[in-house]
Amino acid sequence: MKLTYTIFMMFISTFMSFGQSNMTLGQDTSFQLKEDIGEVVISATRTSKNQNSVPLPVTIITREEIINSNFVTLDEAINEQSGLMTIPDFGGGEGIQIQGFDSEHVLILMDGVPIIGRLAGTLDLKRFNLGNVERIEIVKGASSSLYGNEALGGVVNIISKSPEEGMHGDVNYRGSTWNTHDINTNLGFSKNNFGITSFFDHNRSDGYDLTPETSGKTVSPFYNFTSNTRMSYAFSPKTSLTAIGRYYGQTQDYSVDSSNGESSIDEWNVTAKIDAELKGVQLCGELYLSDYSTLEFADNDQLERVYEARYDQKLIRPELRGVFHMGNNHEFIAGLGLNHEQLVRSSFWLDPKINTLYTYLQYDASILQEKVNLILGARFDKHQEYKSQLSPKVAIQWNASEKFNMKTSLAYGFKAPDFRQLYFDFSNSSVGYTVLGYNAVSNRLAELDNQGELIEIIVPISEYSGRLQAENSLNFNFGLSYHPSKEILLNANFFYNRVQDLIDTRVIARKTNGQNVFSYHNIDEISTFGCEFNLRWSPSENFRISSGYQLLYAYDRAAIDEFKNDNVFGRLAPNQPVFRLDRSDYFGLLNRSRHMANMKLFTLVPFINCDFNLRGTFRSKYGLFDSNNNNYLDTYDEFVGAYSIWDFAFSKEVLGKFRIALGMDNVFNFTDAKNISNIPGRSLYSKISFSFNS
Amino acid sequence: MSIKFNFIFFLATSLLIFSSCSDDDNSGSTPPSPPSLPIQQYSNLHADQDVDYTTNPPTYSGEFIKFDFETGSTTTSETDWDIAFRGTTILVNGGDTTGISQEPLRTGSAAAYIYDGLFQDLTEVDESLLRTDDMNDGLAIPTGSGNGWYNYSSMVITPIAGKVLVFRTADNRFAKMEIISYYKDAPTDITNEIATNDNRYYTFNYIYQPEAGNNSF
Repeated sequence: MKLTYTIFMMFISTFMSFGQSNMTLGQDTSFQLKEDIGEVVISATRTSKNQNSVPLPVTIITREEIINSNFVTLDEAINEQSGLMTIPDFGGGEGIQIQGFDSEHVLILMDGVPIIGRLAGTLDLKRFNLGNVERIEIVKGASSSLYGNEALGGVVNIISKSPEEGMHGDVNYRGSTWNTHDINTNLGFSKNNFGITSFFDHNRSDGYDLTPETSGKTVSPFYNFTSNTRMSYAFSPKTSLTAIGRYYGQTQDYSVDSSNGESSIDEWNVTAKIDAELKGVQLCGELYLSDYSTLEFADNDQLERVYEARYDQKLIRPELRGVFHMGNNHEFIAGLGLNHEQLVRSSFWLDPKINTLYTYLQYDASILQEKVNLILGARFDKHQEYKSQLSPKVAIQWNASEKFNMKTSLAYGFKAPDFRQLYFDFSNSSVGYTVLGYNAVSNRLAELDNQGELIEIIVPISEYSGRLQAENSLNFNFGLSYHPSKEILLNANFFYNRVQDLIDTRVIARKTNGQNVFSYHNIDEISTFGCEFNLRWSPSENFRISSGYQLLYAYDRAAIDEFKNDNVFGRLAPNQPVFRLDRSDYFGLLNRSRHMANMKLFTLVPFINCDFNLRGTFRSKYGLFDSNNNNYLDTYDEFVGAYSIWDFAFSKEVLGKFRIALGMDNVFNFTDAKNISNIPGRSLYSKISFSFNS
Repeated sequence: MSIKFNFIFFLATSLLIFSSCSDDDNSGSTPPSPPSLPIQQYSNLHADQDVDYTTNPPTYSGEFIKFDFETGSTTTSETDWDIAFRGTTILVNGGDTTGISQEPLRTGSAAAYIYDGLFQDLTEVDESLLRTDDMNDGLAIPTGSGNGWYNYSSMVITPIAGKVLVFRTADNRFAKMEIISYYKDAPTDITNEIATNDNRYYTFNYIYQPEAGNNSF
């Protein structure tokens, strides 16, 4: 571990010093770099804006970076960004972590509409193939003032390609270790008022096994299929109709000992929208439908079904929004919409249906000779099952000069209790414990009691007559950006999040079989804070190096009190004497690393005219579970050691229409079979792309 | 850090001066402190049980192994026992039948509670916290992971650090107990094999106060 860390730091310092010595050279080049213009971002304010002029911390992953790094799925791209990483879920999915928030608290959008399908809270980023993705926008910190539910730690918006003029298309194949293949094609056509673009992808893999000595693979073999079509038609210069349809299906086969199983996913997303301009107001009417369903089953060696679970979630969301300009410097955005969600799921007390009516308003002003940008916004969500939410936000940017700006924002974010937390009714058949959703407790606990399955009710049923509250947070960001020349960009962002009413499980009753009945309640209060630094130096079009770092503290407030009150104890080993722990022994929340860093180098190899990139990420130690069983992660627990992952790739354009790439991921073959399931060993890949247009 | 260090330094110096002074004045022996009660250890109390997983919920059966603090050993006596073990379940000889299969008849006045803290810090029993086993309120030492004396995770039962079991015995004496291990010979590293084959062997430390009416240790 120490070695990889040293190597990482060596690389960084080498490139830094290399950078300084070449600085004068860079300033002489007359290239107008793309980065100078700044990328366009729409997720932060719901209107197109330059990334540098949005008063919120935003990360953008461009098409160029996706192609150069040969990313296949979203998780790979996220893992190489400053302050972002993915965390493997026990179900095999990979969820994002932003500013210390886990996947449950991050909203994922595709072309501006929310993605559903979180079986256990995590939204698996492997579901998103990047073959037709134009860019990925990540807004850090709370954005509930625009997006409502789930936009507590941040928002990720995956933006797909729009039709371009003429006929165009590409075909791509990527083959890699573990018999993994990805083949896809983009086909597009646009003429006059009509445009269409389609994407088809097929991805399959044998999976991999980090623990060959045990039965079953770490990642079982799977194949999936993605199809995405977008059509648009302009009736007039000011009126247009857009329709987007997406399908994703995956099948994964499991085989453990003598039992065989399968898990399959089917996901549909359909969006239809009309854009029109009426008396200076841009109006958009949008209807979004989504259906996410899964089926899991397992059969024993006699082909008898021993397990089966179904999940089918639907979302219908009509929304109307308008943008109105008052002069050049005042913009108003207003929206009104309805979320209708329903779920049919195994182990549920009932099949829930929830309607949420919402409205939002945002004022965006450019004032004081356009040196100051002010954003004021709020959204109101009217719910049936928990307290309605008002989510305000204020953000200010001050452009002191062309080279220097400061931005700060204060925002409210919330996450509504999910269906599981409200309606779960699950009993584990082998161990015998029961988990009940908050709303299911009053009925089901009484039933269990009548059936004589309970010894003792610990939390009175009357406590469940109210409502489970939404988890909510206050988010503060303060950022500085320095752009001394067009080659160099430096920025820093300091963040603080205070989360209240976090939903946790607790034992509410004891069963006669010695097991417990669990349910959900609002209790925890956590805070996360830290800072992020980014540095980019691009002396020429053919050379760019960037580096990022995040420092993170994530604490449970109640745990801090317990440590301060001398109520926490530990042992060095299971049979060793007990001793008392100090506040300084408290490490923080599980799965949060104090330090993370990344480095990327993109360059052109002279003579052979070949693109080369080298990318590295580093993550410091973190705890996965409370190994000494005192309920807290402390310095005496077992930690997952620090590690770094290095990737490189070469690519070259041939005959103008072909691109050939060769690369290696995880060069140093880092694996940790015991703790990290989502990092396979070293893998080699090659990719060939063919593109055409007329 | 430096404040702490200075304080320790100050303490050490003053102790040195103080002890040398008392040496000098040699004014006679200090009053004899009561002989401190010994910490005793009992190893490998085998509290086996049978579990039938074919029923839902699983059914547990087997003999409870009874323990008597006064003799410091297990016993088969019907009446002369203080606490009894089976699997992770601990009963006291006080209160009512709770409905668990094969539980012994409770004839004594034993009771218990769990103290949060270090074993040596518990110097006096808070008798107001003592409770007996009860049909409605469950066992004085609750079962289930995180409820009582242990946590269960990754197939391993671990005694929770800082949980001291405080008992009133069947004949109104007091004892405190700290469970060290649930596995045979209290191993440092509990492998999967140990977890499956060598479980339900209690090793615990305890102090027994034999003097009637004395609730301090």
